Amino acid sequence: MLTAAIFFPILAAIVFALVPRPKLASVASDAPETPAASSDDSAGAVGNAPDPAYRKYERRMQLAATAVAAVPLLLMVVAWLRFDSTGGFEQVESVSWIPTLGIGYRVGLDGLSLSLAAMTALIFVVAIAYPVDLRGRAAPYFSLMLFLMGVSLGLFLALDLFLFFVFWDVSLVGMYFLIGAWGHGDAQRSALKFFVYTFSGSLALLLAILGIYLATDPRTFDMAEIIRQQPLPATGLYATLVFLGFFIGFAVKTPIVPFHTWLPPAHVDAPGPASAILAGVLLKMGTYGFVRILMSMMPETFERFALPLGILAVISILYGSLVALAQSNVKRLIAYTSVNHMGYVILGLAVAGAAAAGKADSQAIALTGATVEMVAHGLITGALFLIAGSLLARTHTYEMDEYGGLAGRARALTGLTVIAAFASLGLPALAGFVAEFQIFAGALAIYPWLAVIGLVGIVITAALMLRMLQKLLLGPLPVRWMSFPDLGRAEIAALAALAAFVVIIGVVPAWLLNVIDSFAGPLVGRG
Amino acid sequence: MTALSLLLVPLGAAGVLVLLRGKPSALGPVGVAALLATLALGAWAAVSEPTLGWDWSPAIHTGLAVEGFSRVMVVLVPAIAAPIFVYAAATEEEGRLRLLALMLVFTGAMLLLVTAADFLMLLIAWELVGAISWALIGHGWRDTENARSAAQAFVTTRVGDLGLYIAAGALFAATGSFSLAAVGGAGGWEVDVIAGGVLLAAAAKSAQVPFSPWLFAAMAGPTPVSALLHSATLVAAGAYLLIRIAPDLDAAGWFLPAVAATGLVTALAGGIVASVQQHAKRALAGSTSAQYGLMFVAVGASSTAAAGGQLVTHAAFKSLLFLGAGVYIHASGSPTLGGAPLGRALPRIAAFSAVGVLALAAVPPLGGAWTKEEIVAAAVDESAWLGAGLFAAGFLTALYASRYQVLTFFGPGGPRHAAELRHRPGTFEIGSIAALAAFTLALSLLWVPGAATVVEDATGGHLAPSAWWEPVASIASIALGFGLVWAIWRRGALTTLGLPVRLREAAGDWLGLPTATRLFVVAPVMVLSRLLARLDDRVVDAGVRGVGWLAAAISRLFSLRVEWSIDGLVRGAAAGTWRAAVGSRLADEVGVDGAVEGAARSVGFGGEQSRRLQTGLAHHYYVIAAVGLAATVGALAAFGLAKGS
Repeated sequence: MLTAAIFFPILAAIVFALVPRPKLASVASDAPETPAASSDDSAGAVGNAPDPAYRKYERRMQLAATAVAAVPLLLMVVAWLRFDSTGGFEQVESVSWIPTLGIGYRVGLDGLSLSLAAMTALIFVVAIAYPVDLRGRAAPYFSLMLFLMGVSLGLFLALDLFLFFVFWDVSLVGMYFLIGAWGHGDAQRSALKFFVYTFSGSLALLLAILGIYLATDPRTFDMAEIIRQQPLPATGLYATLVFLGFFIGFAVKTPIVPFHTWLPPAHVDAPGPASAILAGVLLKMGTYGFVRILMSMMPETFERFALPLGILAVISILYGSLVALAQSNVKRLIAYTSVNHMGYVILGLAVAGAAAAGKADSQAIALTGATVEMVAHGLITGALFLIAGSLLARTHTYEMDEYGGLAGRARALTGLTVIAAFASLGLPALAGFVAEFQIFAGALAIYPWLAVIGLVGIVITAALMLRMLQKLLLGPLPVRWMSFPDLGRAEIAALAALAAFVVIIGVVPAWLLNVIDSFAGPLVGRG
Repeated sequence: MTALSLLLVPLGAAGVLVLLRGKPSALGPVGVAALLATLALGAWAAVSEPTLGWDWSPAIHTGLAVEGFSRVMVVLVPAIAAPIFVYAAATEEEGRLRLLALMLVFTGAMLLLVTAADFLMLLIAWELVGAISWALIGHGWRDTENARSAAQAFVTTRVGDLGLYIAAGALFAATGSFSLAAVGGAGGWEVDVIAGGVLLAAAAKSAQVPFSPWLFAAMAGPTPVSALLHSATLVAAGAYLLIRIAPDLDAAGWFLPAVAATGLVTALAGGIVASVQQHAKRALAGSTSAQYGLMFVAVGASSTAAAGGQLVTHAAFKSLLFLGAGVYIHASGSPTLGGAPLGRALPRIAAFSAVGVLALAAVPPLGGAWTKEEIVAAAVDESAWLGAGLFAAGFLTALYASRYQVLTFFGPGGPRHAAELRHRPGTFEIGSIAALAAFTLALSLLWVPGAATVVEDATGGHLAPSAWWEPVASIASIALGFGLVWAIWRRGALTTLGLPVRLREAAGDWLGLPTATRLFVVAPVMVLSRLLARLDDRVVDAGVRGVGWLAAAISRLFSLRVEWSIDGLVRGAAAGTWRAAVGSRLADEVGVDGAVEGAARSVGFGGEQSRRLQTGLAHHYYVIAAVGLAATVGALAAFGLAKGS
């Protein structure tokens, strides 16, 4: 079933890639009122004068892609219902692949994989359904989106390091093209920077994977087996190098300061839905790797580096929020809050992985909190980036100073933006709080000073989010936005789906926390 | 379930209001009915002391409980909110539905705060109350200034929220529980951390020094909002928390003295600030900080009972005063003090306001005087200095209270008939003010013998014995304040107090505290933030760009020697793989070296490939990626073979 969730969208992506571009001559004959000017390439690119027949084709493609994407989401719901939370990997599907190397096709899940994969499926459905300027290339866009969906699900569900790496690397390619081809501004350059930067990170990751592979006996890429074997000693140059390899790979992807500079340009120039996926799903691959590989496969080495990692996390928290505070570009601002939020996650992980006898309760809630933050950040920042995309589509600018007073014009936009912004600043009864409260409550038992310094981040986040709301929505409405159109139905539905989960997780978190706790408790050795 | 229904009734009513948006006349009655129902539920809860617990997560248990001082709060909050709601429904026009619905939600959140049985629920309510107050304060959002004030209020109180995060975490570290009842069981460093966190949270919420100025910013909200925030909600949360758990934190020896010191400083500073104010609502806002300062002093002097009593009497007379100020502002068209007094045109409002003022100035036999006496008794019992400070504070209170009343309602001149006013208060306005005045008067029952036992029982604290000279000294200090106002008024200098403008403005603006905050906190943070943003753009990223440039340079060097083509790439990859294979055959360690070499080569490819991509030859990447993948698989195969042989 998990295999179906991974490969159904990938197969569908191939089908989409093969769909021919509609012949506009025949389209024109269907809709005679269409001006003849709609020649091949300008069809979708001219946003203000779309060819209605072509728009219809785009809508059909979008509907089809959304329907395809809904299948893995449904499968993840079934997986959730079947999940029995007794610990360990379940719903495992495995096929021998290259047995001489110990490579197998193995997928399965535990509380971590399940919550991240379910979140991934949801975000992809929403992102695919979200209206966006397709630049007249509908089929390739949805093909790439579905491909990326399958790959991302595969990464979170893979139980084989080799498979994990394949998905890891291929995801970069998909995102590269999404940014490069459908982005705006200096999209090519941003896409390239994203690609080269994260690709070099993945080279470090590859080396580390080989390093840990060579230490296994018998040699295997099977994650569950490696976790059982714990092949590397706590100390020594070899283990340290392997640790650093993994660390660089994951730190670039997460990103942790100072490996974050690929993030802002990539986000700013990416189309809204791609940003939502980049922030919501791709960043989580890094933090997922921290838990699944570093904390599970080499916990003793992780212990040695927990404090420095915690310090880096706090630097990320403060640095990300302070730099975000100075931004005038709304998308850059959101991008930097990602750095800040990933700092919370890493702080939680550092706390959970620290050497602290007798504090397993606090470590468990820190790890649970960090995992909730991964899910919550996906939903919240996904929503914020989609909103930013909608703003751009209406006004062609991200500069916050150009806006103001939209609360009087666009009620749906205002309501959803306020929810997303307050969720992002960690307001209780919304998902971000469930995460941040547990991270900091846990951290205070292990690294009290880091926790106290890191907490300053939530004040700065509050200031910058309120400033954003104020600049976009409040105050007088500039004359030229007098006819600013509110969100359309598709946009409202997509954002409302994300907002609904943000609220549900915030108000009644137990259903999610139960699943997460089923892996977090055992991982920190809580009795 | 009673505990839960306390929150759900106002929340549900807010939802009903939204559904009723087509019928504006129904909003008021529905909201008031809901608040009265909440009041009844609160009274029932105060007697039945319900509790409710559930698992928030497998590791965290949470719940609600009406116990200790929260028995008083569950009655007080809806009792004060109801008349204020009537006033708001009768007077507010712009965004009326939003305002009324938010006031109900706000009341529900405050009830969650006072029924929270643990730090988790407390923090949830604490921040929700703050966030809803953001929306209430920024009600007139079309004015950028209001939005900014709302943000200032929220961010300042959020600094205090950190205290609760810290306290919650430290409590969990010490006891493995978040329960308020567990606080007494904590020991070691955690107690100090919990105490510090609680003090920070309470001081920020109750607008104590140095956080007081946010309360001025909160004046940007409509008058009923101010009345609600200042009396039984939001600002009251800080004092409520201290009354609930301060006695359990006695193990941190510095805690109670620090609470008392914070309170005394605020009481004195707030008194000065209120005395020189030219703005009706600001005069009352300064007084709010000062009055909560008195409660802090009481808590610090180990008399949570006196603090609890003061919280109740203050809630009654301060909401009364704010609504009266609202009428004054509406009727005169300006919030500025020193215009024409309106006592002759509005005799009833003037009388009600006088009740509030006398209670504020602690004139017997009003309830405010009784609680004030109990605070003085506790303070004198604790230390002579604290007692002396309180007499000074009492003098200032009498001064600003009587000055406020004279300038708004009691002076000579002014219009003679209500018809001359810009706005005549309607039945509902007068009725709601009358209800609060009646409540204030009814609290005089505190002077009845035996009331002390009731207060001690309701708060779970103790009252200190009072010496004979304390009431005498109190009354003397009040008389001195009244007398001074009388004397200054005779000279016609009551508006300015005869002080130079600059001094008055500096003192009135929280003695320069906001300026200091801007200079020493906000400005440095903004400078740092801009600096880091620039650093991020130029330096951190420059390192990355430098590496990219270096890689490009190296690959250019390469390309001088090797004729680059797809074939060349494949050959290179094959060579790398071969070398890696040979290496790994020798030993695993060497194999790793081989892999490193291979990787170094790939970086070279990467650089060249980047250059190609930059020239727009994106399709080359397909081939390169395929080759890279093949090389990876090949390398792994080689390792596998090496292992097999």
